[in-house]
Amino acid sequence: MYSFRGILRGAAFCAALVWLGGMPDEAYAQKNSPDIPVVSNVVAIENARIVQGPARVLQSGTVVFRDGVITAVGRRVDVPYDAHVIDGDSLTVYAGFIDALSHTGIPEPRNQGQPESVPDRSNPPFDRAGITPEASARTALDPDHGDLEKLRNVGFTTIMVAPRGRMLPGQATMALSAGTNGSEMILQGMQPMFFQFTGAQGVYPGTPMAIMSKFRQLYREADRRMRLEAMYAEDPSGLARPPYDAVHEAFFPVVAGDRHVLVWTDEVLEIHRAMTLQEELGFSMILTGLEGGIDTVDKVAGSGLPVALTLDLPDQPRFAAKLKADSLQHILDSYDDETRTATFRDVEAEKENLEARQLWSRSRYVGTAALYENAGIPFAFTTMGVSAGDVHGNLREMIEAGLSREAALAALTVNAAALFGASDRMGSIDTGKMANLIVTDGDVFDEDTSIKMVFVAGQMHEPSNTSSGNRSRDRAEASTSNQ
Amino acid sequence: MNNTIRLFLIALLTVGFLTSDAHAQDVLVRNATVLTVTNGTLENTDILIRDGIIAQIGSGLRAPRGAEDVDATGKFVMPGIIDAHAHIALSSVNEGTSPVTAEVSMEDVTNPYSLGIYRASAGGVTVSHIMHGSANVIGGQNETIKHRWGATDPDDIRFDGAPRTIKFALGENPTRVHGRRASGGSGAIVPATRMGVEQVLRSAFENGKRYMEAWDAYNAEASTNPRAVPPVWNERLEVMADILRGEILIHCHSYRADEIVMLTRVLGDYGVDRITFQHANEAFKVAPELAEFGAHASVFSDWWSYKFEVYYSTSYNAAILMRNGVVTSINSDSAELNRHLYHEAAKSQRYGGLTDDEALSMITINPAIQLGIQDRVGSIEIGKDGDIAIFEGHPLSIYTIPVLTYVDGVKVFDRENDADDMRVDVDPSAEVGQYEGQVTGRDHMHSHEEVADLMSFFQSVADVDLPHAHTLND
Repeated sequence: MYSFRGILRGAAFCAALVWLGGMPDEAYAQKNSPDIPVVSNVVAIENARIVQGPARVLQSGTVVFRDGVITAVGRRVDVPYDAHVIDGDSLTVYAGFIDALSHTGIPEPRNQGQPESVPDRSNPPFDRAGITPEASARTALDPDHGDLEKLRNVGFTTIMVAPRGRMLPGQATMALSAGTNGSEMILQGMQPMFFQFTGAQGVYPGTPMAIMSKFRQLYREADRRMRLEAMYAEDPSGLARPPYDAVHEAFFPVVAGDRHVLVWTDEVLEIHRAMTLQEELGFSMILTGLEGGIDTVDKVAGSGLPVALTLDLPDQPRFAAKLKADSLQHILDSYDDETRTATFRDVEAEKENLEARQLWSRSRYVGTAALYENAGIPFAFTTMGVSAGDVHGNLREMIEAGLSREAALAALTVNAAALFGASDRMGSIDTGKMANLIVTDGDVFDEDTSIKMVFVAGQMHEPSNTSSGNRSRDRAEASTSNQ
Repeated sequence: MNNTIRLFLIALLTVGFLTSDAHAQDVLVRNATVLTVTNGTLENTDILIRDGIIAQIGSGLRAPRGAEDVDATGKFVMPGIIDAHAHIALSSVNEGTSPVTAEVSMEDVTNPYSLGIYRASAGGVTVSHIMHGSANVIGGQNETIKHRWGATDPDDIRFDGAPRTIKFALGENPTRVHGRRASGGSGAIVPATRMGVEQVLRSAFENGKRYMEAWDAYNAEASTNPRAVPPVWNERLEVMADILRGEILIHCHSYRADEIVMLTRVLGDYGVDRITFQHANEAFKVAPELAEFGAHASVFSDWWSYKFEVYYSTSYNAAILMRNGVVTSINSDSAELNRHLYHEAAKSQRYGGLTDDEALSMITINPAIQLGIQDRVGSIEIGKDGDIAIFEGHPLSIYTIPVLTYVDGVKVFDRENDADDMRVDVDPSAEVGQYEGQVTGRDHMHSHEEVADLMSFFQSVADVDLPHAHTLND
């Protein structure tokens, strides 16, 4: 698929080949470590179709990157003498996908048994209540976390990784989908506070209503303490020492408007709850998930909040999987919104109606992304709760339901970059941006397209089995979430 | 799924399954027997609702252009029924982790998709007081909703301007949830007895009072001293302070006469006087005391013996309370019973010898008074909201049938057009069998998750038999 030029023809390279076992791609794919000499940090993908961004296509061009940064892209580009050259004929290059929220890269906690009991469950310690906003995903990243490779193989090069946990698990971080160790994955930039409506087990706050109250409590008390600290810093004389704890301190930048709250909503009522809190307290919020947010399109559009939609779709109702297409049609044809039966006489009629409504209801979920596009809401996508193997199939369903390919690509690239204030570094194929790229053998949203290579900060990764990336819808694959 | 089906589904998506004329708020109901509740019964009378408000009551009224015309000849019109105790349209009910959770609010978990709203409106109910459960001595704040079926934003079903209310609970439920774990496990806390319940109440009020005083002192000092230090913020005590300020009406789950009197004494000590005792099966024993205190009562017609503290009961409870001058209502506390509250009112009439207006007042103007919304709803009067229920047959007759229900002049139930499936929202993935016995997909999921969560907690920590969850709702 690709050939070597320049120094690759030299004797030194031959020696390196022998040293590394003789396989050029293996040699290239070696991770950067002091023990192994690096052959070249320059890559050129020549004569490829380059989708620089949504609706920005070079039918045939070359992209060059060095040390993980794109140095040139265009129709006619000088390929450096030391470049590792990939023949891009019949290949398409996209900017790497950005996942706006996932736990991928954070290992699942080992001990999932019964939570420890506490003396007073109405007032548990913060960590027992699932409130650790001072924690960070940065200290928990693991490049060998099993789902990371799966997510990378379907095209994701950057992930907003949130810690696992309950109400306030900690700060999320932008991370690459590969690295030799956790620290190497970390990307500079926004570290929003992750928040979700997941109650503590057996202690306060257990329900969504108590989570709402607890959030207000933490926020308003943090607001008070921040003022006290400012007053104390100015002149401590005569003032009692302000109270301190890490949890409230973690709220200070949120209250000051310097840190976003990244909130996960997995049903429509949670969207309303998140927006209620944001309106009441006025913090900067990124709204993610929004599954079932069909009726909230106007409200979200009016709020101007940044949004990342779930890539999840409801499972097909079991009856639909068993039926042929023509019987689905029969069900839909038989729907009658005036149906009035005595249940004990005609269960079948009601059941058919219900099945038709379930198909219709699912189609509304599938069409949600298109609704947000039509409402002019720029959105990103999140893989939270989605198996990597389902990502492309779900995207295709959304596209068939009216989502434009441009909007889908924007959601996975430029919009996500903008969401996290990283447009100057990622989201498109432009000189000066990170070399986060996907190389495919066709349109990335087509069913028969395979992802051949994924470059993460210039480092190449090949999906071990190319047909298992894009095409696979293996339900048995581990979920990327701990929901 | 092939493309034809997709297109068909998309077409359905644009049309929508449920069509409603939610914008029509002008209705002329002609030639009805109008049970005004506050102004007697008017024969052969028309009611004109304009922009959702009752504009005219009389005869020979003319419909404005575009108004819905309802020939109610031979039918009965009564004010929309008000249920002062419900748990419909909620995605969670009990924050059972603390004996005092005044800070939580049903406002935050209101679920407009709940099919319970439609089912209640099919029984002529137009307003529900949706309440926190009875796991805690001081539970959460409740929400008064209008049955604007079809709304999808929780804010769109709120009764705007309704006073804030809060749930209290005495007796077996809070003592069982919080205090009765000592024998088998850890984590038992006050209250374990009715004495403990009183102590929890007094502590909460005392803390609220101190909190209020601390803030008052801070606010006074802050006007002259820029370095004044504000008290620690406390969402829970904010609400306790608001109760003490008289801004929140108390609705207290209670059964026994002794605990009812106990609470009036606690409230008396803290200068709080706006209280409705819910259930209150023994309230008849202390009816004069309640009347003197100015307390209200919201009771069942004839439902009892579902636990030990509810054995001493009588069907004469409502009538005795009413005859003693206690503002009394009949409530449902049930997503089934709320569909025939008119029948429950009739039972109290049968036992207590009440007049029609007295019986009807217990499901209309009296619950309105208890919720502080009597200026807006609860009777058929000019200027009140266009919330009406139309019946075939007198609503206090066993043979009556609710046929039409309007909220703000919008038809929310029409027996002629009541299809089998009136859900606003359908779970796309649920098995058909899973729908059995549930209110909506969302209610189903939530309630079961929460019950399961609560159960596993109690079993792990307490090692005692958990009371069946639904008894905590009542």
